[in-house]
Amino acid sequence: MNRVKALICIVIPILLAYALNTKFGDTPPVLKFLNPFTGFWQNAESNMVKANKKIVLKGANEQIDILFDDRMIPHVFAKNDHDVYYAQGYVTAMHRLWQMDFQTRFAAGRISEVVGAKAIEVDRYQRRMGMLYGAENSLAGMMENPKSKEMVLAYTAGINDYIHSLSNANLPLEYKLLDFKPEDWTPIKCALLLKQMSAVLAMGSDEFYMTNILKKFGPEITKDLFPDYPFKESPIIPVGTKWDFTPLPIPPTPTGYTEMLTGNVKTKQKIEGIGSNNWAVSGEKTASGYPILANDPHLDLTLPSIWYQIQLNAPGLNSYGVSLPGAPGIIVGFNQDIAWGVTNVAADVLDFYQIKFQDDTHQAYWYNNAWKKTTKRFENIKIRGTNDEVDTVIYTHQGPVVYLQKPNYGKAKNVPIGNALRWIAHEKSNELMTFYHLNRGKNYADYRKALTYFTAPAQNFVFASVANDIAITPNGQFPLKWKDQGKFILDGSDPKNDWQGWIPAAQNPTVKNPPRNFVSSANQSSTDKTYPYYINWEFSPYERGQRINDRLTAMTKANVDSMRNLQLDSYSIVAQNLLPHVLPLIDASQLNATQKEALNITTKWNKFFDAESVAASVFDLWAKRLDYAIWNDEFTIADIPMRYPSRDRTIELIQKEPNSKWFDNIKTSRTETLKDLVNESFKFACDSLERKYGSIGKNWYWAKVKNTNVPHLAKIPGFGSKTLLIGGAKSTVNALSETNGPSWRMVIELGKTPKGHGVYPGGQSGNPGSPFYDNMIDTWAQGKLYDLFFMQSATDQSGKIISHYKISKK
Amino acid sequence: MVFLVVIIASFLLQMFLPWWVIIIISFATCGLIGKTGKISFWQPFLAIALLWTGMALYQSFPNHNVLATRVAEMLGVKLWYIVLLITALIGGLTAGICGYCGYHFRKAMIGSKKAG
Repeated sequence: MNRVKALICIVIPILLAYALNTKFGDTPPVLKFLNPFTGFWQNAESNMVKANKKIVLKGANEQIDILFDDRMIPHVFAKNDHDVYYAQGYVTAMHRLWQMDFQTRFAAGRISEVVGAKAIEVDRYQRRMGMLYGAENSLAGMMENPKSKEMVLAYTAGINDYIHSLSNANLPLEYKLLDFKPEDWTPIKCALLLKQMSAVLAMGSDEFYMTNILKKFGPEITKDLFPDYPFKESPIIPVGTKWDFTPLPIPPTPTGYTEMLTGNVKTKQKIEGIGSNNWAVSGEKTASGYPILANDPHLDLTLPSIWYQIQLNAPGLNSYGVSLPGAPGIIVGFNQDIAWGVTNVAADVLDFYQIKFQDDTHQAYWYNNAWKKTTKRFENIKIRGTNDEVDTVIYTHQGPVVYLQKPNYGKAKNVPIGNALRWIAHEKSNELMTFYHLNRGKNYADYRKALTYFTAPAQNFVFASVANDIAITPNGQFPLKWKDQGKFILDGSDPKNDWQGWIPAAQNPTVKNPPRNFVSSANQSSTDKTYPYYINWEFSPYERGQRINDRLTAMTKANVDSMRNLQLDSYSIVAQNLLPHVLPLIDASQLNATQKEALNITTKWNKFFDAESVAASVFDLWAKRLDYAIWNDEFTIADIPMRYPSRDRTIELIQKEPNSKWFDNIKTSRTETLKDLVNESFKFACDSLERKYGSIGKNWYWAKVKNTNVPHLAKIPGFGSKTLLIGGAKSTVNALSETNGPSWRMVIELGKTPKGHGVYPGGQSGNPGSPFYDNMIDTWAQGKLYDLFFMQSATDQSGKIISHYKISKK
Repeated sequence: MVFLVVIIASFLLQMFLPWWVIIIISFATCGLIGKTGKISFWQPFLAIALLWTGMALYQSFPNHNVLATRVAEMLGVKLWYIVLLITALIGGLTAGICGYCGYHFRKAMIGSKKAG
């Protein structure tokens, strides 16, 4: 009897210890997480920051000083290249370890390792798209160059020395929540992070939709509705710029490429949303006589912030800007002599090839009139709580055959079955050297040299120097293609469909000091139609670029505020193009009281997507519904996924062909006109707003309808921002949607001493328990910029330093 | 006495050992010096509830409870001090149960010796 009792008295405490120390499903280990000695309470950071700290690290070669300013931005002063990247790794890990770890795990297809079998399809997708394969190729490229090798190895050592200094109590919060531990950083993770940027910016493709449209409507209509150059455009390289090179011969277009068959495939449609802007104005247009450069790269916003501000100083290097946590160097920033920035180029660098396999073993495929052997790559996926899975991926000479069977995963529904993927991110590359050289660059020649190292994701690199040079270059490694190669799915058996070399880096479109005295980009077409090479048939719509160019053309005596105001500009060129053609069609006699009020407000609208604009809410929904009403009847058919013609083509249709047959709804017996659709969609928009937001008034404000917020990277409730009541909209310069927008706003005034201004929606720390987690978000939401403290030396007293770390070997 | 031993030992040992050391401390203390079942439950309970509340507040006050408020939202309880209450309650309960088990373990062992 008593033995049983004694046993029970021992078993209960053991069970309690186990149960409260173990993660069950998504519930974190209860007391491991809650106890105040090692649990989450330990991550609550004091508002008082420790002023000075001496750290002994064997990895440092000489003494390193890291000074933190009053926004916790580190200014690293080192005595050699190794130490500066070592310190960057250390301090980035100190603030952002979990973010770096999680993002690279995601990129590598290793989420199941942490969260268990529920993430298996995510991991398979990443592996099968060749993320790890591409990262391995990139790493080989980085390691070939002694400078980038040193950068990566020093950065890695810095991160690891920080990881090794961690105790259970000061592990980042998310580790405690998800119950895992950081593993050592490895150089491949730096490569994975850069691959992930390619996945975000250069993974979209419309070829399956386009192929279906071609099959359904034939070449005439396809060409008419999906033209190779927009009706309205304001290209990045100004119209009329001369090309001072002899182009390579363009590969011939294979005969009958429009006739090939395709299987049951889908690809991820490019989504408008990424809306980055950059520009530089020459001294001719500024008050100071020196150039000013501005950049606001747009991404899906998250906390911790996507970017990490830092100043790096070592002999030959003194640069300030934003870095990506997980990659050494500064991506967007400035130094004493130059400033640079980036926006995405929507180059067609991802193609799918229909593959004809010999049989179900997939050991050979038909290519150039013969059976060619495939290769296999085995992806070992670790899964928490169960056995590893080995996923076998077939590779053709084009690349991985992403899926042989339809997977049960939303994102992958968009990937063609039985198609091989040729993607620029699989190439060997060494993007780090671009930033190595830009960070140290002194002039235009250094800028041009730096760009030659860059492969993907292709970016519009804007440049300005204190010597009064400005330039812009849509830059990356672009495949040499025949016109429209990859607009539709390609036949994988024909060698003429392969990528046949590259556009020489020196022949990428570029312009220096154009007569208009400014350069700019907003993801629109790189060039006018005279550029001899094919980069893509469709880029982002032109409206933001047009607005920027209109305003910069008119600008004189520019200063930081004129640049900042342009970044915040929410004037809608879409509304300017559309409203004069649709407002007169509204039949006011058929409207109810709310609709009449809405019409009245919209008629008087100044076309700015301001936070407190009611008309903006009405117009946004109205335009969306009108687009749907025009195209949905023809372009939405079950089992044949297609996309709508572009906004540019739609506006052209409304302006130029108001009696077009496309306005008729083919699903009704009567014949609709543009006027019918305009009236119906206007009423629909007003009624929807009324249903959702009540009677017309403050609740219809654009900011409330748009609901901008910055969520946590893993979407953990409570760790994101509150709703921010701010203006801006897609297709305006301030292209802010619900959670996509300017991830960093920067304005650099060059001069004897450069003056930097910048802000991002978040803060330096990745710890939700830190006062520096989201301290900049309100300033960002108000559209203000901070003055960046560009220190001239470690003892520079002109800014506010709140903490000083001294790192030494002994 | 149990209260003092548990609170002091738990404070010191949790500096470098995992949280579940409080289970061992409560069990052992009550197994050695727990006078009654009631004492063996309530004293470890109060000791840990108090110690953890104190420690949590020591961490949270200089933070203006920012993190506790975020965690409260994550857990769907809205107010930060409810998270504190949950922390103290589960911690205390665990210690109390283990103290109680320690006391009854001794009783059972003594009982079996007598019987044997």
